[in-house]
Amino acid sequence: MSVDKGKKSINRLDSMRPLRAKVNETYLKSLEAIQAGKPAVWGMLNFYYGDPILKAMDIEVVYPENYGAIAAAMGVAQQYLDRADADGFPTHLCGYSLTTLGYASRMMRELDGQIPPEAPLGGMPRPLFLMSSAAVCDARYKWFQSLGRYMDAPVWTLEAPSPGVNEFFIDGNYDRMVDMGVKHLKDFVSFVEGMVGRKMDWDKLDSTANLMIEVNRVWHEVNELRKAKPCPMHSRDFWSAMPAALFLAGDLEDSLNLYRDMCREVKDRVDSHTGAIPEEKYRLVFAELPPWHSLNFFDKLAERGWNFVIESFGYRPPIPIDLSGIADPLERITRFNLQFFAGYYEDARKQNVLGGAFAYPYLKYAREWKCDGALLHPLISCRSASTHLPYVSDMLMEELQVPSLSIEGDIVDLRLFDPEDALARAEPFEETMRYYKKMREQKGLDW
Amino acid sequence: MADDCEGLGKARQIYSDRSLRARELKAEGRRIIGYPCVYVPIEMLTALGLIPYRSCGDIREPVTEADRALPGSFCPIMRNCLDCALKSKDDFLDGVVAIHSSDPQEKTARVWQSYTDYPYFHFIDMPVTVRPEAVEYFRGQLDDLKKTLEAFSGKALTESKLEEAIESHNRQRSLVRQLHELTKPSPPLISGTELIQVVKALMSLPVAEGNDLLAEVMSEVKNRTDGPTRKGARLLTWGSTLDSIEIMQVFEANSNVVMDESCGGIRAYRAEVQNSADPLEGLASYYLKEITCARTFRQAELGESRKDYARDLQSRFGYLKGIIREWQVSGVIMLLVRYCDPFAFEMPSLKDYLDSLGVPSTYIEYDYTLGALAPLRTRVEAFLETIS
Amino acid sequence: MYYAGVDIGSTMTKVVVIDGSDDLLSVIKGPTGPEHRQLANQAMAQALEQASLQIDDIAFIVATGYGRINVPFADLQMTELSCHARGVSILFPDARTAIDIGGQDAKCMKISSGRLVNFVMNDKCAAGTGRFLEVTAAALGINLEEMGDLSLRATERVEISSLCTVFAQQEVVALLSRGEKLENIVAGIHSALAGRISTLARRLAIEPRVVLTGGGAKNTGMVEAMKEKLGCAISVPEEPLITGAIGAAVLGKEICLKTADEHGTPPAKPRRLERATFFKEEYP
Repeated sequence: MSVDKGKKSINRLDSMRPLRAKVNETYLKSLEAIQAGKPAVWGMLNFYYGDPILKAMDIEVVYPENYGAIAAAMGVAQQYLDRADADGFPTHLCGYSLTTLGYASRMMRELDGQIPPEAPLGGMPRPLFLMSSAAVCDARYKWFQSLGRYMDAPVWTLEAPSPGVNEFFIDGNYDRMVDMGVKHLKDFVSFVEGMVGRKMDWDKLDSTANLMIEVNRVWHEVNELRKAKPCPMHSRDFWSAMPAALFLAGDLEDSLNLYRDMCREVKDRVDSHTGAIPEEKYRLVFAELPPWHSLNFFDKLAERGWNFVIESFGYRPPIPIDLSGIADPLERITRFNLQFFAGYYEDARKQNVLGGAFAYPYLKYAREWKCDGALLHPLISCRSASTHLPYVSDMLMEELQVPSLSIEGDIVDLRLFDPEDALARAEPFEETMRYYKKMREQKGLDW
Repeated sequence: MADDCEGLGKARQIYSDRSLRARELKAEGRRIIGYPCVYVPIEMLTALGLIPYRSCGDIREPVTEADRALPGSFCPIMRNCLDCALKSKDDFLDGVVAIHSSDPQEKTARVWQSYTDYPYFHFIDMPVTVRPEAVEYFRGQLDDLKKTLEAFSGKALTESKLEEAIESHNRQRSLVRQLHELTKPSPPLISGTELIQVVKALMSLPVAEGNDLLAEVMSEVKNRTDGPTRKGARLLTWGSTLDSIEIMQVFEANSNVVMDESCGGIRAYRAEVQNSADPLEGLASYYLKEITCARTFRQAELGESRKDYARDLQSRFGYLKGIIREWQVSGVIMLLVRYCDPFAFEMPSLKDYLDSLGVPSTYIEYDYTLGALAPLRTRVEAFLETIS
Repeated sequence: MYYAGVDIGSTMTKVVVIDGSDDLLSVIKGPTGPEHRQLANQAMAQALEQASLQIDDIAFIVATGYGRINVPFADLQMTELSCHARGVSILFPDARTAIDIGGQDAKCMKISSGRLVNFVMNDKCAAGTGRFLEVTAAALGINLEEMGDLSLRATERVEISSLCTVFAQQEVVALLSRGEKLENIVAGIHSALAGRISTLARRLAIEPRVVLTGGGAKNTGMVEAMKEKLGCAISVPEEPLITGAIGAAVLGKEICLKTADEHGTPPAKPRRLERATFFKEEYP
């Protein structure tokens, strides 16, 4: 079991680098623009719904969810957590929200609106307004509402319908979802126009929407190519390259070219049977949020032959959908946003998997990307990224004889994730994966 | 002393063996539909002759089965509720209507549906804001519910039946409000503990029987000589749901709880469904806008100055001002169950509002187990000592 | 007139008798043990003897602490939060914050005009109570009493990262076997506990004077660690274990005098200094 420590264990894509760099570039450009007086908005991941509006209106968006992860990784979250605790916010709440609430309290109550000097990477400036989203969990929109305690800035909560699998197919339901989505977005546009004192450039919105859809279509194609054996691209590359598609970071034309480059590179690897790791012994699916602060943990697993071939439903591009016949950009955006989870409902209903939007996709991933095991990462203070995991584990075992390994952590209390302990469990889990591979053969499954 | 089969005695009896009446009705051929949240428009069930039955957890029941599908760090009330369902404690139910009020409600509903096999299950999606398009969408959701209910019951849900059901449930709301007028005197004529028993009984009976029970309770309470003793502090309790007398008794050992702002108390009864040409629209509007639960996003109209926060607080919590004044509330306990996100975020803002009114308040976190009662007791007693 | 306070804590039972000027006439401390019901009357009897008084000489008795329900001869029960706050104010009239570090819980109290006005407590997680010191001391093979002095001899502080008392046991042993100095580890233990208690206390907007009580206050290492984490001076009473009993007695006196003012002095209440039993007894 000797390991060549000199070799890099994960063969990263060259085309990943400019996409990863884009995130930093965009962030710094944004910071410059804000320092030069451009208004900033605090936003939240909204799955292609509110972001294109702000992008088309050339508004700088700062994402406290991401900033929470940065603060945690740089070891400065604790002071903000303590402050939020002192301000009366119960400690079981989402670590990102507590970090930002503590940050806002410090910025507004102690520093009269100035960015705290100790804040890493330039901090987050005082926003003009807050754009939150009801998607995924309660905490997300209640958190932004709580920020109103410190900041005199209105909050817009973007609606995010989430019907049950069966209920989705009731006659007329989908059209009503689109209807609400379009009306809601229209009102949001008016709200933004009022806040910034400018009108929406509808042509720009039209092209922004198209670019956003096309970027994600190409990005989706890249990920489909990962079904190949050996898998040409590791999860680490997915996480590094995704922000441009998920958050619409930076110039969209540029992003489109970069994803096209990535598509070419991945196709080349497929043709030449080049894997993302030297020896692919096990193919894994990862759920849900990665341990951002300890990603080299995956390198250690790669040395053992673990290739991560697909991951994180919450970050994935929607299944492509043809929206060329829709004239109204607001409707195109709404349908694309709904497609994020609705794209799976047909299959989920056929398979009778009712466990909610976040659960069914993992069945599809394990089957189509031919996974030997699932690595689950429940996070103690992020319930929305964790509550589906027991269900996923159960579902994968029952339907596909695919076993899961669960390793706990947290989004801001990084001490809870113990890489050594996690690695100690890798060997016994390999035995488990080998055993269930035999079980799958007996059941007639082909991987 | 009242006859045990009437009024408060009857409420007590029903509280201790909730499903008795539902089982009787089932044996008579009626169909019983469970609902885990007061946001479910049960008028629609009543209108089709289905009996609504509130699904609850049981604080005395240790959770064992729910571990299969729900993690430990999850709303203990819904976890317990699911646990009871998985243990078939509600095996008389013909179906369940769940709703997207909070994450735990949504996640529990999915698991519930996946792991059990009722003849009927429907999940209502609910938006988080009260904007016009949100109300319209919610009305559409209720229309979808109507479709599946009609298919299940084999009957048409006509407007007139629905209007009749709405009237019946509105009458219940009105009666409950009237009953709460009887906690205004000092000492109140009915205790917080008794009110929990009454409300739980209402949620276990068909609406007409509940209304009869309320009439009995009202006349008994108005004429009683054995009411609660005056205890000094008059408390308002605020929280998600408070449906266990064990918890209420901790509060009432040394105080009078004159108003319980929770889903085991006044919350589902404070307002009325308005008459509307389109009764589904009336229901959608009532449920989305009038239920004062922290899960709904409300914000004051955009203002122009730094006083926005105060105005925002007024728009979100202003309804408490009148209650505090009229019921002469001397202290507020904000009761937070562990892992509850909407109420946890809401709490500091509510405290700010109560501070602005000069009303002492305290925040107490608890777990939905009997072991949580002792720490709860110390904190409640200490709070009462600070305001005495 | 004389008044008494009985504080039945999870580890220690304390009884004090005071006179009308709040002067201490007797102080009794003893381990609570499982039969705290029995001990209360014994401790009371000892206190009376020390003060050369009879039970009927005591005008008012307040019971507090976790076992307060089982003091049948008490006139009133009050929480240890109110009693500690009052007791601390008697000893330090300018006290605004009191922090009690006990074996099984930690309490932070905000004081205004000599009374409790707000509080937070931790009785859920052992890592934020004196238990953390007990368990880690045992794991390191040293006496709890030595911990404080040891920590003050540290040359540097080793950080203890485990959040859970049980895991911390393993961690401190591992640190020791890795060659870390014992006193440095012990300093780290104190620092970790002080950090958790300070975070709890900060929910109350700490104001000086800050007073530390309870078993934790007898630990000099703990006092220093708390000073550092809170960033302010800390006062410690000479007898940190009896503030609850003192507060209970004084509160009893104040209630008794107030009642006498308003309604006249009540007739002496016949009181029997007996064991608590589960059977109700009728007094004549």
